[in-house]
Amino acid sequence: MAGSLTRRGALGAAAVVLGSCGSGDPPPSTGARPGSGAGLLNSILVLEHAAVAAYAAGAGLLRGEARRYGRELEEQEREHVRRLEELIRGLGGTSARPRSPEEYARSFPLLHDGRDALRFARDMEERLVRAYLQALPKLPDAELRSAAAEIGADEGSHLAVINVLRGGPAAPRAFVTGTL
Amino acid sequence: MRDGAAATRRRLLLAAGATALVLADPAAAAARSDQDILERLLARERRLESAYDAALRRGRLEERLALALRDQEREHARGIEMSLAARGRRPSDAPEPDPALADALRTREAFAAYALALEGRAVRAYVDALASLHDGHLLPSLGAIMASEAQHQVALRMSVGEPLLGRV
Repeated sequence: MAGSLTRRGALGAAAVVLGSCGSGDPPPSTGARPGSGAGLLNSILVLEHAAVAAYAAGAGLLRGEARRYGRELEEQEREHVRRLEELIRGLGGTSARPRSPEEYARSFPLLHDGRDALRFARDMEERLVRAYLQALPKLPDAELRSAAAEIGADEGSHLAVINVLRGGPAAPRAFVTGTL
Repeated sequence: MRDGAAATRRRLLLAAGATALVLADPAAAAARSDQDILERLLARERRLESAYDAALRRGRLEERLALALRDQEREHARGIEMSLAARGRRPSDAPEPDPALADALRTREAFAAYALALEGRAVRAYVDALASLHDGHLLPSLGAIMASEAQHQVALRMSVGEPLLGRV
């Protein structure tokens, strides 16, 4: 299928999209005390907003079980957004706002079918896992690290669900590091 | 006799002082504490490994899945053993077999429920460890093991036809 997204194309596009809204940018200004962790959490929040938008964008392309899980994963990403917003507020910061659906649509790769949607979801989840794991040593207190670890574990299980929906094993590797 | 007793007391006090100095050294205390946390995680990994190995031998989990999960737990254990060795601690012997395992091996469903609970407790233990460890270098790789255990839960739910998603 000529118009279909190649893996390299999807990864490249995802990298551009995520690089422009994630750790490639300086952390959004938050107003919180420097070193509080709010800036780092805000960078991850930007990624979580993008993940919610990615699931919403892919929802119309998914069918059956994949569609049902897509909705559930989107809802869990929304919960992560709420949790990060609370943590950032608790640190005296201001949470990053999501882009508009039109802005996300312009920056996301073209999704032609359910396979494209699942591939893009996989790339998002890999990126989220990596973001949470890399944040752990940089977060200054135990409560923040605990929250990041809990959500990181969630993202690991999301990745497993996507693996299954794509026809592979849930847990193909012993060390789930995520990818950039 | 009295002089001897005084000398002994002095030696004991000096020894106690030296111990207190070692304990008061934050770096040393932190290193010891991290080692203890790693030891506990290693015990969990070994317990998981032996559970999957037993399930494999008794046919209580689909063979390919049991092999994959057992081997992954083994890799986790090896990684933690290497971290302990790098910190100068020889890992303790394998933990005693879990008495609940024999009961869990009666049926496939019972084993899946047992393994899911074990994996759930492992994820929780990693979350707690990641919040408590002092050496930041350990966190990403232990986090990668935690995410792997979370994936094992999905694989186990799938094996018994349960909804794939749960909560940590």
